[in-house]
Amino acid sequence: MTRPPAGWPGRRLRWVPSLALLAIGALGATVAVGVAGTGSRSTGSPVTAPGAPAPPLAGRSLTGAPVDLAAFRGRVVLVNLFASWCGPCRDELPLLVAAQRRWASRDLQVLGLAVRDGEAAIRALLAETGAVELTVVPDPTGATAVSWGAFGVPETFLVDAQGRIADRTSGPVTAGWLDRRLTRLLGAP
Amino acid sequence: MRPRRAVGAAVLLVLLLGAVLGTYRSVRVADDDPARRLSSELRCPACQGESVADSRSPIAAAIREVIAARLRAGDSPEEVRTYLVRRYGAEVLATPPAQGWGLLLWLVPVLALGVGAGSALRTHRRRRGAAPGARPAPPRPTRRPPPPVTAAGVWTAGAVAVLALVGGVAVAAPRLATAPEPARRPGPAIAADPVLDLLALARAAEEQGRYEAAAEIYRTALERRPADEIRLRFAFILIRLGQTAEAARLAETVLAARPDTPDALLMLGLAQRDSDPAASVHTLRRFLDRAPGHPAAAEVRRLLGDG
Repeated sequence: MTRPPAGWPGRRLRWVPSLALLAIGALGATVAVGVAGTGSRSTGSPVTAPGAPAPPLAGRSLTGAPVDLAAFRGRVVLVNLFASWCGPCRDELPLLVAAQRRWASRDLQVLGLAVRDGEAAIRALLAETGAVELTVVPDPTGATAVSWGAFGVPETFLVDAQGRIADRTSGPVTAGWLDRRLTRLLGAP
Repeated sequence: MRPRRAVGAAVLLVLLLGAVLGTYRSVRVADDDPARRLSSELRCPACQGESVADSRSPIAAAIREVIAARLRAGDSPEEVRTYLVRRYGAEVLATPPAQGWGLLLWLVPVLALGVGAGSALRTHRRRRGAAPGARPAPPRPTRRPPPPVTAAGVWTAGAVAVLALVGGVAVAAPRLATAPEPARRPGPAIAADPVLDLLALARAAEEQGRYEAAAEIYRTALERRPADEIRLRFAFILIRLGQTAEAARLAETVLAARPDTPDALLMLGLAQRDSDPAASVHTLRRFLDRAPGHPAAAEVRRLLGDG
């Protein structure tokens, strides 16, 4: 590069825009990579990736009966994480009850995990949504939810007859989602 | 010219100090509590840009408890980290791994800083070299007017802008960082306060799902110290227990003294849901007006059917 004669800025400034562009480009790429890293959940959670053996889930149900996911081997289990303080969970519970009734003859077991909730509040919610018949295990500290790699409530896992994770979804399930997934796993009701 | 330069240098120095201070504050280890330190190094998987330590989301609270329980059980911080990475993926680590794309996250800022500083130095050095030759220029008014922008000027302005930004954040940050701290974790100096002990006890009961016990402890704490924060915690537990009338009364007490306190509006709105749905909607809308960015706002919008 030759030195400009009298120190005129025109020449000196010429490379500033390209450098600025480069810097902005690099910054953009960095931010994009960072955001992509934050947003993608598919890469994570190896313990509950499809095909992985389901993490343990055991405890006492609201009725006091011992519940152990391992004891349901041979049946498809729908594990639903919910809480009384979660609005979408309220709307979802009737769908789960309907699914349990619909696929009862095909050996579907719906198992609710009440995350960080009080028993009185869970009971009230189940009564309110007509879901008293569901088997619900309280998870007052949320430790079980964390051991399943849950992001929040509602969240639903499907465990196949061999005890492996078949599917999972964050957020409320729809009747269509249940229908497609359960028909695939259990056949038409 | 000289005084102006001195003022400029002084301002730059102050900003530089602020920037150094801010950087120091952001990298230093804020707490001796290993559970808290570990949770501040982890990203809350359910939130954007918040650490597990800072997030108020339920899953972050659950993760904090898991961390504390595992450390108590004798796990090393590394084992706890691995446990969580196995469940939430490497994204749960707040510092990106120094490999693959993650390496880029580390390299780009360093490269950008190096290239920027190098170019700035070059520009300034060249200007200094050209300065003696340029000096005779001003007395000749027939020449073109002095250029409005020089490369050195651009660099100086850029540097001042960056320093001002970092310095500004450093000056504003202490208030953000220190304000909620006493409430979050009583230090050893104030732990002798029996009410704080009661609150810690109530919180522990709450975390174990023993809400009736927690409510009793909050009631006692409130008798000893009628503070709004305790009223609202108590109201929250009462709502969980379905004792909404008393919860509403507590929230109203807070609102009478401090109208439009978002947490009080939230509690009142939730407490009114069964007894007076219309009033509840009204109160919750006021809550959303006051605190659209509140952690519970999204949930409240869902409750109200706002999507």
